[in-house]
Amino acid sequence: MNELYAICKRNVWPVFRDMPILPLLIVSFIVAIVYVPLFFTLDNLRNYLLQSSDLLIISCGLTFVVLNGGIDFSVTSILTLGSVVGAYIMALSPLAPVPACSIPVAIVVMMGIGLLVGVVNGLSVTKLKMPSFVATLATQLIVLGLAVQFTSMVSDTSSIAGLPEAFFVLGGEGRFFFVPILIAFSVWLVSYWLLGRTIFGKRVYAIGVNPRVSFISGLPVKRTIVLLMVISGLFAGVASIIATARNQVGMSSLGDKMFLTTIASVIVGGTSTSGGLGGVHKTLLGVLFITLLNNAMNLLGVGWYTMMIVLGVLIILSAVSSYLLSSRAGWTWKRKVADV
Amino acid sequence: MSDTALRLTDVRKAFSGVEVLHGLDFDLRKGEVLGLVGENGAGKSSLMNIVGGVLPMDSGTMELFDEPYAPRSPSYATEKGIAFIHQEPNLFTNLTVAENMFIDGFPKTRFGAIDGKAIGRITQDCIDRFSLPVTPDTKVEFLSAGIRQMVEISKALMKNARIMIFDEPTTSLSRREKEGLFKTIDELKQRGISIVYISHIIEDVFRLCDRITVLRDGLIAGTSPVSEISENELIKRMVGREMTRIFPSIEKTISDTVLLEATSIKWQERVNGVSLRLRAGEIVGLYGLMGAGRTELAKVLFGVEQRDHGELAINGRALSHVSPGVCIGENAAFITEDRHNEGLLTTKSVDDNLSLVKMADLTNRVGVVNVGERARYNRQAIKDLQIKVADPKHQLANSLSGGNQQKVVFGKWVMKDPKVFILDEPTRGVDVGAKFEIYSIIVNLAKRGSAVLFISSEIQELIGTCDRIVVMKDGCITGDVPKSEFDQERILQMALQGQG
Repeated sequence: MNELYAICKRNVWPVFRDMPILPLLIVSFIVAIVYVPLFFTLDNLRNYLLQSSDLLIISCGLTFVVLNGGIDFSVTSILTLGSVVGAYIMALSPLAPVPACSIPVAIVVMMGIGLLVGVVNGLSVTKLKMPSFVATLATQLIVLGLAVQFTSMVSDTSSIAGLPEAFFVLGGEGRFFFVPILIAFSVWLVSYWLLGRTIFGKRVYAIGVNPRVSFISGLPVKRTIVLLMVISGLFAGVASIIATARNQVGMSSLGDKMFLTTIASVIVGGTSTSGGLGGVHKTLLGVLFITLLNNAMNLLGVGWYTMMIVLGVLIILSAVSSYLLSSRAGWTWKRKVADV
Repeated sequence: MSDTALRLTDVRKAFSGVEVLHGLDFDLRKGEVLGLVGENGAGKSSLMNIVGGVLPMDSGTMELFDEPYAPRSPSYATEKGIAFIHQEPNLFTNLTVAENMFIDGFPKTRFGAIDGKAIGRITQDCIDRFSLPVTPDTKVEFLSAGIRQMVEISKALMKNARIMIFDEPTTSLSRREKEGLFKTIDELKQRGISIVYISHIIEDVFRLCDRITVLRDGLIAGTSPVSEISENELIKRMVGREMTRIFPSIEKTISDTVLLEATSIKWQERVNGVSLRLRAGEIVGLYGLMGAGRTELAKVLFGVEQRDHGELAINGRALSHVSPGVCIGENAAFITEDRHNEGLLTTKSVDDNLSLVKMADLTNRVGVVNVGERARYNRQAIKDLQIKVADPKHQLANSLSGGNQQKVVFGKWVMKDPKVFILDEPTRGVDVGAKFEIYSIIVNLAKRGSAVLFISSEIQELIGTCDRIVVMKDGCITGDVPKSEFDQERILQMALQGQG
């Protein structure tokens, strides 16, 4: 028994302290299994993972920016614009009758939109010296406005339906449920690899802690910032493909609720908004946790506005817990070193 | 009534089981200036943090003016009349002098609003007392470091401080400001205020203090009146061994290859046409008073700032657009004077800091960092530079002592084996032992054929290590003295008056 305790203390406690969201996720999962009817069914678990997949992709992109000490508000607008433009290409454009042609074109265009907005964000921050907060707030408004305008020009309603059946595979239709999950997992794996193993990732962290030290140490600060803004935009484009395919329509309101959940996933996951601390491993847990809440509350019939309250409280709680844990962690280090 | 202001008896303190203060007995008399010296890590900061209520002690007793004293918090210590003056003044630069003075308790009018008149009046009194060249509503950001310190001292006096603890107060002051500070400390002493003066600068301690207490490895290594101890004895007491050599003597040769050549560099009125040549194997000292433009010149040479005019060639290659990245490409390195804001990623691990520059070389074409190589280089640097760190992978840079932090910054650059090395105040805030190690690193680099530009405000260390000393004043070079003609007074005169 003592041995077990020692093993726990050595191996489990540090992990929990690094990721306080992990025990919370496990407990919530168990609570959901016990108390939420229909939660622990194959159908719902599949649904749960599908719901997580586009959120994971978009949150991974945002994690890069937050780690660098910035923020990207434009991601959910990219999701929306991608969705309506992609749907237009597949359902209404001259290409629409030939799915074999329209689907690839739509996919490329959706990713292209993300890429383009990412480049604009990156250049606004590095060349025009705008804070990312301001730059991406501007693109958020512009891109969302464009999406709504575009939808009203091509459709009578706020959505564009009539997409080709084959496209729904990307949304996990029927027996292809593993496709979006696999895509999301791959995106996550690539992000994890980029941040953990490559020089680009190390630079993201270093610049996130102190851009001036990084500049004097010869790191390409501007290039790195442009690159991670592009990654954030591109991932939002990828997420828009999967979200559109799952919803089976292009909607100008697709990104509305995603905005809150994306930012909540990154922060509740434990990536610090002051930059340099965290990573996509935390964001994965954040996404799984937020989606779990969403899913369970849906099953319980709790409305979106209650969910908003819960999300807000969670963000505060995660900030408090990370503050408490980090200050204590800092304290122990100080204690270990003789010179305080 | 005894004449003791503060007495500590058998004070012990441990951090996670490791005792750092082994039962200290320490006393401060009324109205005296007591120097507190010791190497980094000797326990000075721990001791003062205990006195200031930042840290609790494990055992022992403290008496303040013959009353038992057990501070529970820094504000309790302030209330009891203990004030700290730190090396970087703790002032809000966006507020005015008066607002800073009253930041923790504004006097109120009858209606609960802040009493602006009272604030102005009381602040004006304080300003008059030291005849400071400010008005109560000057914003602190427009004040020089010396004046800021005076504001902080005034603030402490306003709160009826009876004991003032100065922690390395002169590091950011110019020579004249330093003189002003010393005068103020004398005045404070006349008023009967007891002063603890912590510093690495031995001459200052001798000039200013009545008694000197030496702390070594968490023990008091002796307290003596200044008249009874020599500088050499003091240093010996600090390091616990005879410091026969303060500067390393290593044979090296200077070749004719010019590694850095700057011609009439100008930048924003701060650097006004400086020409400079560094040869392989040469250590060139750059001396000047605060504001002479030394740091600015270094930043322009390394491309941190863009020069307005002039030519720069490193390794014989003329560089039109210079950035730190370009300079690193030409194998140059730069240690800045501002370790916290420009040198270290303070909240990142020692490993992350060490590999920051070298990493680009340890990366394959896809961008993957070779983790094994990286660890090998880091371990080598830690060994070569004798960096005292328990767990480089997890321990954060800001948990190290000042000397070891600076060694980490050195390690970051030395790993690249730089050919041109620009050092701006590399020994600031570093203890005697670590200073010697840093000089050795510098001289060894030169021995291997690097050119070194060594900027410092300490004339002795330049005389001890350099082959040539260049003097700057008002952004211009006013002297270039070869080793055979080194003369402290003459160099100082060049820096002060622009001629030798």
